[in-house]
Amino acid sequence: MELDLGPDIADFRVDLRSWVATNTPVGLADLTDWQSFGTTGGHRPDGLEAALADPRYQEWERLLTDARLVCPQWPAEYGGQGMDGVRVAVLNEEFARAGVPRVVRGMGEGFVGPSILVHATPEQKAHFLPRIVSGEDVYCQGFSEPGHGSDLAAVETRGVVDGDEIVVTGQKVWTSGAAKANMMFVLCRTDPEAPKHSGLSYVLIPFTGPEVTYRPIRQMSGAAEFCEDFLDGVRAPLTNIIGGLHNGWRVAMTTLGHERGGRATVQHLRFEQEFWELVDTARKYGRHTDPLIRQQLAWAYTQVQLMKYSGVRTLAQVAEGRQPGPEASITKLFWSEYHKRLGEVAMTIVGGAGLVRPDGDGYPTTDWQNVYLASRSGTIYSGTSEIQRNIIAERALGLPR
Amino acid sequence: MRLAESQEQRELRASVRKFLAEKHAVRDLMDTPSGYDAAVWEQIGSQLGLPALAIPEQYGGAGFTFVEQAIVLEELGRALYSGPYFASAVLAANALLCCGDEAARQRYLPGIASGETIATLALGDSELTADDGRLTGPRDLVLDGATASLILVTTGDSLFAVAADAPGVTVIPAATLDQTRRLATITFADAPATVAGSAASLSVAVDRAAVALAAEQLGGAQAALDMAVAYAKTREQFNRPIGTFQTIKHRCADLLLEVESTRSAVLYAAWAVADESDELPVIAPLVKAYASDTFSHAAAENIQIHGGIGFTWEHDAHLYFKRAHFDQQFLGDPAEHRERLMERIGI
Repeated sequence: MELDLGPDIADFRVDLRSWVATNTPVGLADLTDWQSFGTTGGHRPDGLEAALADPRYQEWERLLTDARLVCPQWPAEYGGQGMDGVRVAVLNEEFARAGVPRVVRGMGEGFVGPSILVHATPEQKAHFLPRIVSGEDVYCQGFSEPGHGSDLAAVETRGVVDGDEIVVTGQKVWTSGAAKANMMFVLCRTDPEAPKHSGLSYVLIPFTGPEVTYRPIRQMSGAAEFCEDFLDGVRAPLTNIIGGLHNGWRVAMTTLGHERGGRATVQHLRFEQEFWELVDTARKYGRHTDPLIRQQLAWAYTQVQLMKYSGVRTLAQVAEGRQPGPEASITKLFWSEYHKRLGEVAMTIVGGAGLVRPDGDGYPTTDWQNVYLASRSGTIYSGTSEIQRNIIAERALGLPR
Repeated sequence: MRLAESQEQRELRASVRKFLAEKHAVRDLMDTPSGYDAAVWEQIGSQLGLPALAIPEQYGGAGFTFVEQAIVLEELGRALYSGPYFASAVLAANALLCCGDEAARQRYLPGIASGETIATLALGDSELTADDGRLTGPRDLVLDGATASLILVTTGDSLFAVAADAPGVTVIPAATLDQTRRLATITFADAPATVAGSAASLSVAVDRAAVALAAEQLGGAQAALDMAVAYAKTREQFNRPIGTFQTIKHRCADLLLEVESTRSAVLYAAWAVADESDELPVIAPLVKAYASDTFSHAAAENIQIHGGIGFTWEHDAHLYFKRAHFDQQFLGDPAEHRERLMERIGI
């Protein structure tokens, strides 16, 4: 069933579908499975890097840039087209239907941009946002530290004002995409005397040069997707402080709380595809007739469909003009806990065969072994499940702090 | 499909909630023989028109959709309504709508829509024989079987209608674990029955009933969660509200996730019924299983979060706990529905 979003959105969908059909470079959809991003914290799916380097993808990126379909939700003066949340959702649905990729600007689009839009000066917006849209600036995140994860407001990385510059020194950790980034958004302590939430600043620093070193952290999955970073007097102009000196906590909360519902109706798709792969696996191992396994498969299918129903409902609310609130925490808690348990179900289905890895260097694993191991990170990164439950209890249910 | 509640739907919800809060005295009714207030039922039928909501106008109905009925069912579940709404306006009405022949619909649905006829559907697979318009055999666990004046029952490939006061019909009310739901064992002994249609489409009626029950379960689960949260905000131990403790917060947060997920599924499923979507056979067992788990979990946690007071007879927590168990078992337990789901998605 399809949500009735009114005639304007229906027209938009028709036009978009025809634009995609007309403009998609031949063979783009077949380069890789664009809807599958792999499991964060695990081995990257084969073929993604090659697909991103393919001339057909680069042609597509150019076409989308020209059509202002990169960061389309941002205002036109900063490179977007001011697209509303409902249209972004339709865009995601139609691209998924055609099997073609969105060109997304990672943390620049998802985390930094929203904070800049809410808290930055017009000059800062005009400087930083178009560089994210064009791909010139690629950001990584500098929030967590070895001593401070869930208690983010306790970060110790120092930011010292020196003339018209800020000098950042400290250690950050759990940075993904460090190798591709040339910028980092960092939360640092600029007033050590102030109460911990009031002495922080949100700074965009260059992630290049001799003051920056990073090294990969090998994870329990065998992959090394995250890095630890050493910032040794990294300098940035004061105009790179977003939201003003010592006001970084509010800016960081915008970064973490950003959810406009644009992916609400497509986020279940990769889990649905994965579910059917698990069904194939169950058939291969002859486990699909086992009543206990059937109950677990039914559970998994139910969870995936619940993601779909909840996503459609979120979109309906966005279409009514309601901003999603704690739904973001519920969504994150839901899929991360689901995926962890799905990995367990998968390994139960595979049974003894899951005890043996493929041969090769660097701890290669099967897909289900990778899901089983890598999914443990989902309930930890971007706010642990415990932090999400606190947010849900306090903000959605109003339980006292 | 429009998942956002319209102004008209919000008003319907508010008026049903207000009516039940004022008129439905569950504590007084649970110890009475019939279990419900006939005068209130009469108002539900004639003034509020709730049984008529999803029945087409040509059969005396109000011609709204199942989406509106699901809102009413949620409110009935929230209030632990103990009258024969589910048996008559859901089970029997949908048996007639899906399986009934035109004559049977014309004959029975107007009475069900107005509330004057209280009907039920005697589901089950007990041995029941039909011989020349006469039924013989038992059906147990019949919802509101002692209240209904019209009993619909399927055997073989036919749907039969039997008057409750016909010769050869014996109705024995059961003492139910959940005193807000009434069950009876009905025994037919050469009882005169009228063929009212074909049983071929009974699964559609049962799917609709499963979605309807999930809507009631949603209301019950929401009520249990609301009670738990309200108590956690005010009850103090160790000189602070127990809601400040993470162990309480996290339990409530998990319940909210489940209740909100159930709400999304019930909304989607209600539209699947209303639109006669081909997604109904999949979502019906899915939502019944999930709503059962949610309500059972919420009702149980509500008792635990209340502590000692939640274990008393005076507190309503046990009423929701017992209702949750009834709803979990009625129309098939979650494991049965999950197995049905697997078959229906081709595994």
